[in-house]
Amino acid sequence: MMIPASLHRLGDRTLLVTWNDGRRSEYDVRALRLACPCASCVNEWTGERTLRPAQVPENVRPVRLFSVGRYALGVAWSDGHDTGIYGFDYLRRLNPALSGAETLETPVSPKPPRSEHL
Amino acid sequence: MPAVTTELVLEALRHVQDPDLHRDIVSLGFVKNLNIDGGAVRFDVELTTPACPVKEDLKRQCEHMVSALPGVTAVDVTMTAQPARGNMEKRTALLKDVRHIVAVASGKGGVGKSTATANLAIALANTGAKVGVLDADIYGPSMSLMFGIIKAPEINAEKKLVPVTSRSLKVVSMAMFDEGEKGVVWRGPMVSQMIQNFVHNVVWGELDYLLIDMPPGTGDVQLTLTQNAPLSGAVIITTPQDVSVLDAKKGLRMFQSVNVPVLGIVENMSYFVCDECTKKHYIFRRGGGRRIAESLGVPFLGEVPLEPEVAEGGDSGTPIVERRPGSPAALAYKALAGSVASSLSILSAGQAGLLGSFDLKWEEVPEP
Repeated sequence: MMIPASLHRLGDRTLLVTWNDGRRSEYDVRALRLACPCASCVNEWTGERTLRPAQVPENVRPVRLFSVGRYALGVAWSDGHDTGIYGFDYLRRLNPALSGAETLETPVSPKPPRSEHL
Repeated sequence: MPAVTTELVLEALRHVQDPDLHRDIVSLGFVKNLNIDGGAVRFDVELTTPACPVKEDLKRQCEHMVSALPGVTAVDVTMTAQPARGNMEKRTALLKDVRHIVAVASGKGGVGKSTATANLAIALANTGAKVGVLDADIYGPSMSLMFGIIKAPEINAEKKLVPVTSRSLKVVSMAMFDEGEKGVVWRGPMVSQMIQNFVHNVVWGELDYLLIDMPPGTGDVQLTLTQNAPLSGAVIITTPQDVSVLDAKKGLRMFQSVNVPVLGIVENMSYFVCDECTKKHYIFRRGGGRRIAESLGVPFLGEVPLEPEVAEGGDSGTPIVERRPGSPAALAYKALAGSVASSLSILSAGQAGLLGSFDLKWEEVPEP
């Protein structure tokens, strides 16, 4: 299983996850909120997303980020939602654009390499 | 003129009800910082949300009730709000000084999991480590019996559970809340809640190892625990027969599905040595534990022989490691403690660069 090696904040609305294989994934925090996999955002039976983008404020931010056991990232959001548990595998899959070799960690500049947003 | 007392003021405020919670504001604990200076009464009413629609109404009611008391000349009510904390808030805080949490699990009951937990705990403590035991075998808690504990844990001022100390071990067991032999007859959600409480609301303090005696099987409770407690690893106990081995596999898959490393498999009741000869009798067939460990690619941590004294030790409150330290079973448990300790060190060294247990505010997440 993929495990984050570190979490960083890029400015106010981007979460950077560096994985144990060196890859980096950037997440726009609102996009991450909209991708919440919990049962109140996704229909458990049909898998249909019940959360509508209009329901989430443009300026939504994480309030807290916390580990859930050893397999997931939990996020409590500024809109009061705190039941979302992002399994590391899910989190990684959310950002397939970042699985390419060009995003492998090669610290050439002090800034992390920019990569496509979620 | 009668003196205005705290009791009188609180008594008056008991007539003020929160319309949503249908209880009076005193028993809800909303009245704070009560200050009486002669006839002047000052207090805060702390609501659960600053957006309370009936805030002004509640304030008027408070003023009305208190000013009606004889001797009161002035009433000053300040309405404040403390948002109810999310249930996930800071719940790992009490576990931050626990270095390793290890689940002791089995695919089915009757394989000697609790006995193994008790002996492993003592064997680890005998090496000088600080050890805690959480008996989460909620349907058949036995740690009180195993350690001969008759006390119940205390609740401290912060409403947290203080474990009972026995030898150098800190122990919390569901049995401590059970009245005699009634047993626990609870529905699933209550059990999960209780387990969460056990993990997150106990003041464990500084521990090197916290062993969790899991309920047998791979049901809801087991999954809840496995998912929520920041487990460092799991030890799976099995007996040599294939049916037990099959169930152990399920346990293994459960841990793997939530990324908890399985430290290894222990085969209990491996063989019996009778009084008359020194021959090892393999009553339940031989080598099941080793086979499953090999087939699933996890370490085999050793065999523990079947000795009547192991059971006696458990029943009498002195586990075999303590009762007969030189016996084959005690030696097996000591060896097990050594393997568990070393595999945990190796694992944590391998994870040195990785994110462990964390709980950060967004502002606290570092910028690169």
